[in-house]
Amino acid sequence: MAVDLTPLRVLSASGIIAHLSLASTFLGTIALALVLEFRYLTTKDEAFRERARTFSVISTIVFGVGAAYGTLVEFGLVTVWSNFVTLMGAIALPFYLELFAFLFEVVVLPLYTLTWDKVRNGWAHFGIGVVAAFGGYWSAYNILAVMASLSMLPPGLSIVNLQSHGQSISKAITYVLEWQSPSDVWNMYWYGAQVFIFHGILAALLVSWSLVAGIYIHRYIRDRDPIRKRILNHMLLPISVLTLVQGLVLGHFQGELVLRDDPLKLAVFEGMYWSGLRVDPITSIVAYGTLNHEFWGYYSWPASIRPPTYVTFTYLVMMVGFGILLGILALALGLSYAFGHKLEKVGLGFVYGLEPWLERASQYLIPLSAIMAGIGGAISTESGRYPLIFVSSVPSGSGPPQIEGIPVGALLNVTLSMPVWEVALLTLVVLAIPFVAVYGVWLYVNRRR
Amino acid sequence: MISSSSIVAGLLSWAFDVHLPLVYTVLGILWITPFLEYVGWKRNDERYMKLVGTMLNYLIAVYAIGGVFGTIITVFLAGLMPVFTNLAGIALWPVWATAIVAGVIITIPVIGMYYRTFGRWGHRNHAALGVLLAISASIIPLMFRLVFAYTAFPAGTSIVPDGSSVTGFDLVVNVAQAFNNPLYPPLYASTMFAALAFTGAMMVFGFSLRYKGLPHQDLGITIGRKLALVFGALFAVSASAYLYEVYQLSPTMAWSIFGRAPPYLPSAYQPVYRPTYNLSMAFYTDVVLAVITFALLLLNFRSESRALGVLLGPLSVAVLDISEAVDLLAHAPYAVVPPLQVAEELASKYGLSFALIL
Repeated sequence: MAVDLTPLRVLSASGIIAHLSLASTFLGTIALALVLEFRYLTTKDEAFRERARTFSVISTIVFGVGAAYGTLVEFGLVTVWSNFVTLMGAIALPFYLELFAFLFEVVVLPLYTLTWDKVRNGWAHFGIGVVAAFGGYWSAYNILAVMASLSMLPPGLSIVNLQSHGQSISKAITYVLEWQSPSDVWNMYWYGAQVFIFHGILAALLVSWSLVAGIYIHRYIRDRDPIRKRILNHMLLPISVLTLVQGLVLGHFQGELVLRDDPLKLAVFEGMYWSGLRVDPITSIVAYGTLNHEFWGYYSWPASIRPPTYVTFTYLVMMVGFGILLGILALALGLSYAFGHKLEKVGLGFVYGLEPWLERASQYLIPLSAIMAGIGGAISTESGRYPLIFVSSVPSGSGPPQIEGIPVGALLNVTLSMPVWEVALLTLVVLAIPFVAVYGVWLYVNRRR
Repeated sequence: MISSSSIVAGLLSWAFDVHLPLVYTVLGILWITPFLEYVGWKRNDERYMKLVGTMLNYLIAVYAIGGVFGTIITVFLAGLMPVFTNLAGIALWPVWATAIVAGVIITIPVIGMYYRTFGRWGHRNHAALGVLLAISASIIPLMFRLVFAYTAFPAGTSIVPDGSSVTGFDLVVNVAQAFNNPLYPPLYASTMFAALAFTGAMMVFGFSLRYKGLPHQDLGITIGRKLALVFGALFAVSASAYLYEVYQLSPTMAWSIFGRAPPYLPSAYQPVYRPTYNLSMAFYTDVVLAVITFALLLLNFRSESRALGVLLGPLSVAVLDISEAVDLLAHAPYAVVPPLQVAEELASKYGLSFALIL
């Protein structure tokens, strides 16, 4: 009898998303600390230094909880999806490199946070911060390289299905991965992985900066502290520009890869619910710049490998829809804050006129849109390839391209049995732990007041 | 050219040798500080509180770096020995799951709470929290040491011939029976005694190194050397008991550690059980270093020399690291050393080359 993987998938997804939220917050807050410290060094404005210091401490608190939480997620994944460990043997390179990045963070980040009053040369202190941030981004780079390989099989890596030869290892392990040559292991960082990685890093930055921007707008509405507005001026327009880059540049490249490597994922993303080839004008113009290109519909593939249909919602509504909303709000409020009534000179006076409304809406909608887009993107990426990992497509003569990969069910720990209530309880615990970081930040911010 | 197994051995030894002294220190601090706080409260002695505060300042940093290296070990294991780690994860998942709950879900937030509430809560309640935390943290080695004992002697494991398995057979582990491993009690006891003895030695080392004549530093040195002496002696007894069981039950390890095949091993099986590394020199060096450490500790009682106190630090780290490295590497070429009875059964079915199949 087939095992229902849904409860365990929900448990793992909850853990990963909660860890992702902490990791993203770290990447965003350490970047913000550096931007503000840079502004302090170039303007000598103490307000920037003060805020930079605050964000460096917040990033350290979030990093501490996130690092410990990462261990929980890792053990959780290995306990539930044990057979992934054998596959890890082939894709271990990014994991190794990530460890050294992690070590970097552990040593240099506290150094950055604790030496604000001790390193006299401001640029030297800034340099320490750059090194600490590099550790964080290098860490994200490597983990995202692994995640990229799950969605797109790297060149040179092949799947060996032991079961198809009537074999297994101890009746548990039925799939292994094999590189054509040892040096191919560097293909973990192939072009497709690079697109995936920078798409992911930018998403992390956008979510965390939007969260901080929402809090700053909320407070600015109440106290009209000019420092807050100056800091928002460093965040809102960059958020809008980066959203544009995310959607139109990296998103486009990512879309091209999905089109080539996993047309079934593309079908569920774009809601192409038909069987066989059919013209889809919207997807056609986005992908090819024409209106008459044909695409294989979702029902062209067997039900056993079709991803869940909710992915259409998480992609089109959550990721694309809320992403666009984020870009528009950040652009409008960013322009209004940065240029004020000067916008009238370029015919955009109405934007300034809308500022009070924009402020009230943006304090909630900017963070909400970013979170929805981020979670929507993550779910679309991972559920869009379900029920397979290490996905690739092989052209076939007449029918749709053949989608290949390792079934997620083959990763499950065959000896594991957990009742649904136990899974639900664990999910609640997993979702609650990030609030330790929130509590830590709250304690710190209130102590400083 | 360096073999791949030597690279695996080197990387794992490095990670373990950084991780273990750190987590031993965490365990030691967690067990020692509640009692110091309670005694200080009962005697109304401020020196004890200052001592506890100083030790707690190290707790978070040591725990964080120790945790990072714990993660490094898991990634090294998964990356370098994926099939073994995979199968161990499946066979012993309740063990990992319990360690996760105790080590991460409970211990991490409570360590933060324990640190922050010192001086804010009443001392009796805070000490009680510390004891509960120490018990929770001790569950982590209670679980992981079972895995170590299992790799030396896989108790509770049965072998089912399976023509479809790449190895020719399946391993079936009864986790409840795995806890009946004769190596397990002395190994866990020696771990806990070593953690307390090591932390005591580190107290002497740390306070001697940064000595400023403060009353709580004198107290730390006095208590540290008593702890190191008492628990060091208990460690020697439990570690000897562990070695005895290893000698009886794990032929490859016994051969590697003591430098020659145990006499009960039939000569026909010697090629099967021959270890990759002869670690007898390392083992005897470790014993000598342990004796020197013990002697220095005794001397420190008489002379109260700061130099002797400082010397105890690197010596204790060396004793601990060498013993852990020897215990880890003595398994090679096996990840799990097959018991002699199993070898006889396997050899009768597959011939002596079964080990190569593995």
